[in-house]
Amino acid sequence: MSAMECERLRELDAELALGVLPARERAEAVAHLDRCQDCREHVERLTAVGDGLLALLPGADPPVGFESRVVRALGATPAPKPHRRRLRLAAAAVATALACGFGGWAVGTAIEGTPPVAAQRTDGRLREAALVSDGHEVGRIFAHTAGEGTGGRGWVYMSVDLERADRGPARCLLVHADGSTVPVGSFPLKGGYGSWGSPAEVDPATVTGARLVAPDGSVLATAHFPASQGH
Amino acid sequence: MGLSHGRMPDEALLTGLTTGDPELAVAFVRRFQRTVFGVALAVLGDPQLAEDVAQQTFERAWRHAQVYDSRRGSVRSWLTAIAHNLAIDTVRARRASPADPEDLDELLGIVTETPERRALADDSAERVRRAVAELPREQARALVMAGIYGMTAREVADAEDVPLGTAKTRIRTGTLKIRALLEAEEKR
Repeated sequence: MSAMECERLRELDAELALGVLPARERAEAVAHLDRCQDCREHVERLTAVGDGLLALLPGADPPVGFESRVVRALGATPAPKPHRRRLRLAAAAVATALACGFGGWAVGTAIEGTPPVAAQRTDGRLREAALVSDGHEVGRIFAHTAGEGTGGRGWVYMSVDLERADRGPARCLLVHADGSTVPVGSFPLKGGYGSWGSPAEVDPATVTGARLVAPDGSVLATAHFPASQGH
Repeated sequence: MGLSHGRMPDEALLTGLTTGDPELAVAFVRRFQRTVFGVALAVLGDPQLAEDVAQQTFERAWRHAQVYDSRRGSVRSWLTAIAHNLAIDTVRARRASPADPEDLDELLGIVTETPERRALADDSAERVRRAVAELPREQARALVMAGIYGMTAREVADAEDVPLGTAKTRIRTGTLKIRALLEAEEKR
């Protein structure tokens, strides 16, 4: 790494961090950052100044009706059965959103009209399993252990779409290797469908599965997490 | 012990946003719409354009939820960055000058305002606010022009009627001073 290059980068550091460097100089600077960790860390520290400035901007109430227009644009309108597509979408989205530890802030350029695609990569803190009833997959459950970005707590999130038009509440129990169960909470089902998330103590070393139980005690669905990959 | 949507942590709400569940989508939009619209309005100064940008911000967040990385900042700062980028793109597409001198002065007043109730606050936003307030006026103006309005050094130079080198120096010196002040406070 030539000192000359670093010196040149430091002349452009603030404009780069604030995102106002013209394209040609920006390309030159980014190419240097790819090769130079010191400069990369330096620019990241300066980026926090820009983020901090934006955080000072006052909030403002959008016009009446904004909320419903946005929700409609997101395609999140209530839909009766069939739920299958919704369930698959839910599972894919949850997997991608929970599988943190990769990606970044790259939200800048091409936007296509496609929903998120399921990512298969996880950082080892995410457990995922199918919820099964009578041999059929009826949902997905995701258990995320405590760590950065989770507020120091573990999380359980699930989406279930039962053939039966059950009207909950369904109780969720985490099952441990020794056979013991720990209740996580309960959530309502509407026409057999429900999605729900809750903080939960998730110990990846001992949790082996989950069970959804109806108010009358009957088991609605079960899940078995794959064996830990030793992360 | 499940939480109502309104009390779910930001990241869990983002997780749920893309499930197609309308209640989660409403909760997500409701929680962040003031922030997102506020950023767009500050940059654009036009409520109609700001509304378009705010809507695009939520659509982009929905499509890109999978690239959100909690190690790089909060959901709120992620959305703020998206809204800011889109607002700057909108300004540039219209070849409009974002910074009316009066708007700039007003905005500078807002981001350096330190009423008593905030004076003792020690969160990172207030540290930035105090640091900006300590800058020489011309550096604070250059920093707000670049950092909030997205103006290049050339545009700052033209707006302030100073040489390009002077504009670059003001942006850089202001940024480095704030970073130094923040790091000094973080070490206390």
